[in-house]
Amino acid sequence: MIAQIKPAQSASVGATHAVFIQRSILHSVRNTEALIMAIMLPIMLMLLFTYVFGGALDPGGNYVNYVVPGIILLCAGFGSSSAAVDVAGDMTNGIIDRFRTMPIRSMSVIVGHVIASLARNLVATAVVFGLALLVGFRPSAGFVEWLAAVGVITLFILAITWLYAAIGLVAGSPSAASGYGFALLFLPYLSSAFVPTHTMPAWLRGVADNQPITPIIETIRGLLTGSPIHDSAYWAVGWCALILAGSYLWASWSFHRKAGRR
Amino acid sequence: MKSSSVMQDTGRPLKNHAGLGQTLRNSLTMAYRGLLKIRRTPEQLFDVTLQPILFTLMFTYIFGGAISGNVHNYLPIIIPGILVQTVIATSIVTGVQLREDMDKGVFDRFKSLPIARIAPLAGALLADTIRYTIATVLTFVMGYIMGYRPEGGMGFVVIAGLLVIVCSWAVSWIFAFFGVIARTAASVQGISMIVLFPLTFLSNAFVPVNTMPDWLQWFVKINPISHLVSAVRELANNGAIGAEFTLSLISAAAIVAVFAPLTVRAYMRRT
Repeated sequence: MIAQIKPAQSASVGATHAVFIQRSILHSVRNTEALIMAIMLPIMLMLLFTYVFGGALDPGGNYVNYVVPGIILLCAGFGSSSAAVDVAGDMTNGIIDRFRTMPIRSMSVIVGHVIASLARNLVATAVVFGLALLVGFRPSAGFVEWLAAVGVITLFILAITWLYAAIGLVAGSPSAASGYGFALLFLPYLSSAFVPTHTMPAWLRGVADNQPITPIIETIRGLLTGSPIHDSAYWAVGWCALILAGSYLWASWSFHRKAGRR
Repeated sequence: MKSSSVMQDTGRPLKNHAGLGQTLRNSLTMAYRGLLKIRRTPEQLFDVTLQPILFTLMFTYIFGGAISGNVHNYLPIIIPGILVQTVIATSIVTGVQLREDMDKGVFDRFKSLPIARIAPLAGALLADTIRYTIATVLTFVMGYIMGYRPEGGMGFVVIAGLLVIVCSWAVSWIFAFFGVIARTAASVQGISMIVLFPLTFLSNAFVPVNTMPDWLQWFVKINPISHLVSAVRELANNGAIGAEFTLSLISAAAIVAVFAPLTVRAYMRRT
């Protein structure tokens, strides 16, 4: 009698995601250099902008309250950019071919990188907040405002991480992914992150006022410090949702094109 | 019958050391090798071409209005600052490339050649002055395009540029030392950035010192980068050679006096 060989049962989506999230977090913890940089960058930027530039940019001494949202977004962008390098590394070192032989949803690899990056960046954001409080940041937000601010920050990190993951998928190598990602890190500078847009030349003000980062920063700043938000909140959520949806679709399409469907 | 190696008398005495003339020639050849590397891999010049352009545009247009009221007033402050920051940062490459060459084993090849042992090190340091010159010219050109008109005139601008190149060459000895003693190129980059980041940003390069907290001002005032920036500003904006100029040259000489022997000794020991 010939024994019937049953095909291996696919692991549940949740279990697969959990394994790949754990894998990405382990990689992060073991990459000491990147870990130190992720902690040092917010500290250096916070101290630099508060003490070196702060007095010149806001002689009133209230600059720390203005700059914190910008530093949070800049550090989130920097932290998320490592997702592009990690994804590009996985796509070029042959590990994806190994995963494709297993009864798992191969897109879980990318989801793992994204969720791990989100977790890393939320920890980095907490570090920024802690340091900000030490150097004089005094938010006026209540519980609901804090919750909303954390929600917007999380949504932004998720959106930008998916964008970096998509960049990592289309880049030919980890160094190329790093190069492409570097360009995105300039966006917070061309916004109201560090200086009010009305102090910029007219042609630059047009760019700064109409790019995605400015309404996100204005929303976080408004929620934490009570400055007027106007319609920035709608634009912030809209931009984040658009980037998230677009990046997710781009990443899915790129992954299936490169690694095949499962 | 035993095989024996026969030494033929060639009629010329064999030396195990190189004279000054030969050392200079070998160093220039190695410097030419450095220039060839730049020609073959032009992406090496990204830091000296893109950085001055990006930093000048970014700081001037984004922070200029907030710091000095308008872009035009900020240019005489920022251009010398960006110049010093960019060119000094470029000197890190000396140490990184030196370490990469030593890791690749190319220095073992050089050891087997009848050349001065110091030539590869001296050549690398010499070739990098070209990088500093490119960064210096680009920064001033970028400033000019944006509306910067140095009051000191062309002659003093050239002196300011030469001062920055000389001081950067002096600083490159520090990074060459790191390059010789470090284990990897990445660690050279890391150590160098840790040293350079506070020195360049905790200076008067970007904002006036009097806007900083008192406890920070004392460090900024003794920071050698601040003296160099002030010297460049005096030269380019006022056409004056003052105490800052002398102090910068003395600092550069002191760095070379300390780090050149250290680097050469470490280099000779490693090769």
